[in-house]
Amino acid sequence: MLQFICFGSNHIKQNVFFRMQDLQDLDNETCWLVKELKSYIAQEADFLPRETGLNIMESAAEVGIAIPVTQFYILYLPFSSVLMCYFDVLLWCLTFIFQNHNGVSAKCRNAKVEDLWSLASFFGFSTQTFVLAVNLLDRFLAIMKVQPKHVPCIGVSCLHIAAKMVEDECNISPTHELIRISQSKFTVSDLSRMEKIISEKLNLELKAITALTFLHLYHAVIVSLTSERGEIPSIERLEAQLKACLCQLIFSKAKPSVLALSVITQEFDALQSLAMLEIVQELQRHLKIIDSELLYWRGLVAKCMTEYSSSECNKPDNKKLVWIVSRRTAQNLHANHFSVPELPTIPEGSWDESESEDSCEDMSCEEDSLCGSPGSDAEGAFFPSEFCNQGRK
Amino acid sequence: VSQAASWLKVDGFTRKSMRKAQKQKKSQGSSQFRTQTFTELSPLPQLKDAPSTEQQELFTQKLQQCCMLFDFMDSVTDLKSKEIKRATLNELVDYVSTNRGILVEAAYPEISNMICTNIFRTLPPSENPDFDPEEDEPTLEASWPHIQLVYEFLLRFLENPDFQPSIAKRYIDQKFVLQLLELFDSEDPRERDFLKTVLHRIYGKFLGLRAFIRKQINNIFLRFIYETDHFNGVAELLEILGSIINGFALPLKAEHKQFLMKVLIPMHTAKGLALFHAQLAYCVVQFLEKDPTLTEPVIRGLLKFWPKTCSQKEVMYLGEMEEILDVIEPTQFKKIQEPLFKQISRCVANPHFQVAERALYFWNNEYILSLIEENIDKILPIMFGSLYRISKEHWNPTIVALVYNVLKTLMEMNSTLFDELTASYKSDRQREKKKEQEREELWKKLDELKLSDAAALVQNNSHGLQNNNSNNNNHQENQEKGTAVIATDHEDPVVAMDTAENVKGVKTAK
Repeated sequence: MLQFICFGSNHIKQNVFFRMQDLQDLDNETCWLVKELKSYIAQEADFLPRETGLNIMESAAEVGIAIPVTQFYILYLPFSSVLMCYFDVLLWCLTFIFQNHNGVSAKCRNAKVEDLWSLASFFGFSTQTFVLAVNLLDRFLAIMKVQPKHVPCIGVSCLHIAAKMVEDECNISPTHELIRISQSKFTVSDLSRMEKIISEKLNLELKAITALTFLHLYHAVIVSLTSERGEIPSIERLEAQLKACLCQLIFSKAKPSVLALSVITQEFDALQSLAMLEIVQELQRHLKIIDSELLYWRGLVAKCMTEYSSSECNKPDNKKLVWIVSRRTAQNLHANHFSVPELPTIPEGSWDESESEDSCEDMSCEEDSLCGSPGSDAEGAFFPSEFCNQGRK
Repeated sequence: VSQAASWLKVDGFTRKSMRKAQKQKKSQGSSQFRTQTFTELSPLPQLKDAPSTEQQELFTQKLQQCCMLFDFMDSVTDLKSKEIKRATLNELVDYVSTNRGILVEAAYPEISNMICTNIFRTLPPSENPDFDPEEDEPTLEASWPHIQLVYEFLLRFLENPDFQPSIAKRYIDQKFVLQLLELFDSEDPRERDFLKTVLHRIYGKFLGLRAFIRKQINNIFLRFIYETDHFNGVAELLEILGSIINGFALPLKAEHKQFLMKVLIPMHTAKGLALFHAQLAYCVVQFLEKDPTLTEPVIRGLLKFWPKTCSQKEVMYLGEMEEILDVIEPTQFKKIQEPLFKQISRCVANPHFQVAERALYFWNNEYILSLIEENIDKILPIMFGSLYRISKEHWNPTIVALVYNVLKTLMEMNSTLFDELTASYKSDRQREKKKEQEREELWKKLDELKLSDAAALVQNNSHGLQNNNSNNNNHQENQEKGTAVIATDHEDPVVAMDTAENVKGVKTAK
């Protein structure tokens, strides 16, 4: 909950107390930052994904009929083959209809965004590339009805477009590498065609104002306004949290300015940094961000952050990944499955077998003898902790 | 066959075996010296035709007949007698397999004599001193037509339902076992296969010999590891041991644990590991299944002996490690996870693509993944650096794709930790880059000054030496001061480069 701090309380340090209304009291840099913020807020609506489109995605049911198809096979096996044919055709039609006319669901989009996160991280793209890619993806999916099977291509295209706009030329891997690593099934020409389509549909307004833009500005303002540098979380930390939020479709409905502010406020709240919260509150007032809106998104962000920072591991879905190895290693792996040996097990006798009937000659044994002479069962330091040093003679 | 197989391992060099095949083969040496004067064998009546009262006597006669040894080096002499012996041996094999009540007490010494005479011989020295078991064709035993049947007979004899160890132990004693073990060094794989089965049966039936057999095998292995590095029968002996280990009673005796740590683990260092690795790994895993507390010392032992220059061996070790991890208990895993994954992270970054692949493939193993999941906070920091580095630097595209899979898997396991490590890795890299840049600029400055101040340098040389002897090794301190002084030795042709300003700086510091 956003706590409304009373001014003049003992917790607040005097040097943080300020009022932003008097612009001339602030230094030039902060002044400029605030102006930027205001102008961006005015423009941000242009880059929001269409809300109706997002709603459709949220309500789209996941394709559920594909799996029961196999179950039907098992169930109807005893029946005549003719009947099975009919069912085959019927089920196939149903699958086709449901799969392709259901559109992209939120789950599908979220999974794709996570993939983009992995790819961006792997190729060393900046957070800006990732955030921009997600923005393009959401805007495109919100206005176009696409089949789920095209989502991988769209996702990678958005990432590529974003990378071209943000990253240095030398940092961008060639497209075929992008396709190979993402284990995609489409070709390079597919990718460039899709990029063109996306650019057209978004009216070439590709350089978007995203939540990241606001996050950076807010962070800069806070840094310039306070001398308590130690208390401010790093921008990398905030970026990571924003990325985690963007993985859920719901946050694409938020205004970027509000979302960024929610993330920051949430972090300060978690750190119990009352002074910082005060700055944020001033900022909010100055930029005319509605309380209820901020509160609403704060709540959702908090929930997202609990999931993100929980030490519980998510079991990775390993089946999606394809493990390609070279021919030699594949042969090696195959050969390495040790077959059960042909010789049957010889159980050790319950009586002491270490006594042989014919006395074994006393071979020159070391103190930890390998002889089967009686007494070898004696408990002792047969595992001295420095056994590593013992063996070498 | 070996030629066909060798083409699979093409590396641009002519195979040794092809060169050798062009050399003329010497005839195989034989250690058997025929002291007996040769008498032709006269065929005896068939056992199945003989009346039951005479069978025992006939049986003995045939056994004695088979004690006559023949020279198979010579392929033309004594053909008729050789055939008679072969047929007789065949008949004896059948007789012992199908009939009951023939193993009377008197038969044992005759049987034992026949067997000993035929198979116990000093093995001829290998005609090929550079015999490479992986590449070369083994030298086969020339008298195999007879010896094979003798082995067959011995097996049937041991497996006969009427076989009595209490009688047989007078003849199958320690001396017998010793001689049997020596034969394991035979180059002929068929002979070793028989020996394996024979020794397995003897171990099973003669409880009194078990300790002796184990001790002798220990000795053979220790000799192999530390002295000769040569023994052809390691794989077969290990296979027998596998079935013995499988049958160990719990709790494990100290002797057995000793064997594991002092013999089996060091055996991994043998040069010819590829020949018996499957059996060796099986034995190790069997031990761990019997007693999981052995896991930590075993893994530490393997890590100690981890191959540093032989990639083929490294791939084998990784395979064995995966087999061990498949059966490991989570509590044991926690104890060795850090040294283990430090090694794995080195393997993953190995420029040899097979080693890197094999290490990365661990992440395709469900059980290993679940172990990593539980301990992700310890493991991810160890793996992260090398994974990230090779994703950018490795030459092999398959490896890069596999690294993506691994990173993605780890990222999904714990995003927070992953992000933290990414951030710190990036900042480390940036710091390194900055340092590199500074160093570059420093060198540039030096380059520029070299030409202009040549004269001044000669003058200042002695000054530089006096003032900076103490700073000889402390060039980091020098860097911070902005000096670029390099102290010289007498032999070192590089002249100390003092810039005019730096000399001043140094003087004031003093």
